[in-house]
Amino acid sequence: MNQNTDLLTLRSVSKSYGKVPVLHDIDLSIRDGEFLTVLGPSGSGKTTVLRLIGGLEPLTAGEIRLDGQDISRMPINKRPFNTVFQDYALFPHMTVSGNVGYGLSVRHVQRREIARRVAEALELVQLGRFADRFPAQLSGGQRQRVALARALICQPRLILLDEPLAALDLELRRQMQEFLKSIQREIKTTFLFVTHDQEEAIGMADRICVMQAGHIRQLGTPHELYYKPNCEFVARFFGENNLVAGKLGPVQGEQRPIETALGRLVCSISDQPHLKAAPDGANAFAAFRPEALHLADATEGDNRFSGTIADLAFAGSSTVATIAAGSDTAAQRLRLRIPSRIDGSALKAGETVSLSFAPHEGHLVLA
Amino acid sequence: MSKAGSMQPRERRLSLLVTVLAFALPVIFVLVPLVIFLVYSFFSVDQGTIVYAPTLGNYVRFFTDPIFLPVFWNTVVLCVSVAVICILLAYPAAYFLTTLRGRWRYALLMLLLVPLLMSYVIKIYAIRSILGLNGFLNKALVAIGILQQPSTLFVFNMNAILLTLSLLLIPFAILPIFLSLERIPQTLLRASDDLGASGLQTFLRITLPLSLPGVASAASFVFVLAIGDFLTPQMVGGISGFTFGRILYSQFGTAYNWPFGAALSVALAIVVICAILIGERFGRSRGTSV
Repeated sequence: MNQNTDLLTLRSVSKSYGKVPVLHDIDLSIRDGEFLTVLGPSGSGKTTVLRLIGGLEPLTAGEIRLDGQDISRMPINKRPFNTVFQDYALFPHMTVSGNVGYGLSVRHVQRREIARRVAEALELVQLGRFADRFPAQLSGGQRQRVALARALICQPRLILLDEPLAALDLELRRQMQEFLKSIQREIKTTFLFVTHDQEEAIGMADRICVMQAGHIRQLGTPHELYYKPNCEFVARFFGENNLVAGKLGPVQGEQRPIETALGRLVCSISDQPHLKAAPDGANAFAAFRPEALHLADATEGDNRFSGTIADLAFAGSSTVATIAAGSDTAAQRLRLRIPSRIDGSALKAGETVSLSFAPHEGHLVLA
Repeated sequence: MSKAGSMQPRERRLSLLVTVLAFALPVIFVLVPLVIFLVYSFFSVDQGTIVYAPTLGNYVRFFTDPIFLPVFWNTVVLCVSVAVICILLAYPAAYFLTTLRGRWRYALLMLLLVPLLMSYVIKIYAIRSILGLNGFLNKALVAIGILQQPSTLFVFNMNAILLTLSLLLIPFAILPIFLSLERIPQTLLRASDDLGASGLQTFLRITLPLSLPGVASAASFVFVLAIGDFLTPQMVGGISGFTFGRILYSQFGTAYNWPFGAALSVALAIVVICAILIGERFGRSRGTSV
């Protein structure tokens, strides 16, 4: 397995249902052995991408290549991929081992071999004791693991997971996330995981592909997406970014200022040529994380501004303050996250505070 | 239950009345007549009047007389055949319906069920004229050269009863099979494809087993309706097409031997109840929830 070679490539793939387009000219490469998450709100086309790759639906235009060979028209039952469906889609009239062994038995693998590999797969998903149960006798998390075992027993090149954790409660979902990740490491198979939950995506993926309205907005590591979103949508979709609109100033080495209602904010542009190339005066946003914002001593200078605490929300280990900043005509709501303290927060609602963030923790997003 | 306690007296009387009716109606109109039949089957007839002294004579006659058991057996075989024919014809039709999309599916289903709204007797007359010597079936078979001349094979015998009952009862087979096929989640079929199964494998290993409950209820439906029918054998069976239903009918209608008729009815009822139980047993699918 070499993470640098492409397993599967989508080239200008489009999909329409009747006259309604759902995917526009998608290009995407999936690397061998990676855990790639396709993330997007509902209606973004993320599930359609999975269904096209799995062969559940035909393409409208473009092509899908596996190891460089076009498989766009290969029928679903010939593709070396297996899917874990959102509602598990376990066969209710078969036992757990019947379900798991199904993919082998339709390929006429010998009974003994099937029994051996089913036992192996059930061991892997820790369901050895449940081999003779029927799906209706299992809990949600157990069904989920049966679905996974059923998909991986055929040793597919790629396992497609369609929001498999959506139906589970929070605690079980966390467990399953770790479980999936560890299994993926163990069997070294490429996973394509579709979800609308950004926390889930950040926790599991090697790379994340963010989709919106049938387009891929950004593809990168969770770290890149979190700290260097390339557009307003990604910046807003990934958690509670503070976005302040303004106009770009002249480039200063690896930094660039932006004139905003909060004053002049200097942000880092290192390794991002498109930000360096943008013309002066272009509309953009300064983006900085709630946890990058600090209480400051002075109100003067770059990246410094004052605001009034409108609301305080205790969130366990941290406390989130909502701050009203800027002038009355260009009011701006910001979020500040500080560690919680046992004797209550140092902040009080209604208080006016000075805030700042370091230039290297600020990021620019073109509007 | 605690809610019932807080009800006003009037409301409580009303709910009591509803409960009593819910139990009383089936008891009065179903259970009591059945019990009366059972009781009558132990009486006898002398010179046209019923003797109200308990006797097993009717049952002894049923089991020893060389007429009744063979007819009974032949009738059961006939009705099983009708059920089999109906299933074999209805399954492809129901399967085809489920492959249709949206409006067409239900329009066609309604069309297949329309014959249920027509008069039973008129349908039998119509089928009889189709099967007759100068009927459509004979003319068609002669026209395409299968027969040299019209055949009397199709009317006024057992074949006629078999064909007519099958034709009449097919809608009762289509409906449960269609419903069970329609209830199979599409994702199960997609999952089967996804795991590498061919279309035939998916049908044989997923669709067919999951639709068996519908097949079982269809079969028991058709069997029960066929075995209780005396009108069809009467009208298309002629002399050779003698079924148990006709014997029953003659005991009540012409021989006026109600106790013996009741005993025969009890025998029939036992078979019917068995058929319903078997249908119910296989009609329940294992772990239907996904």
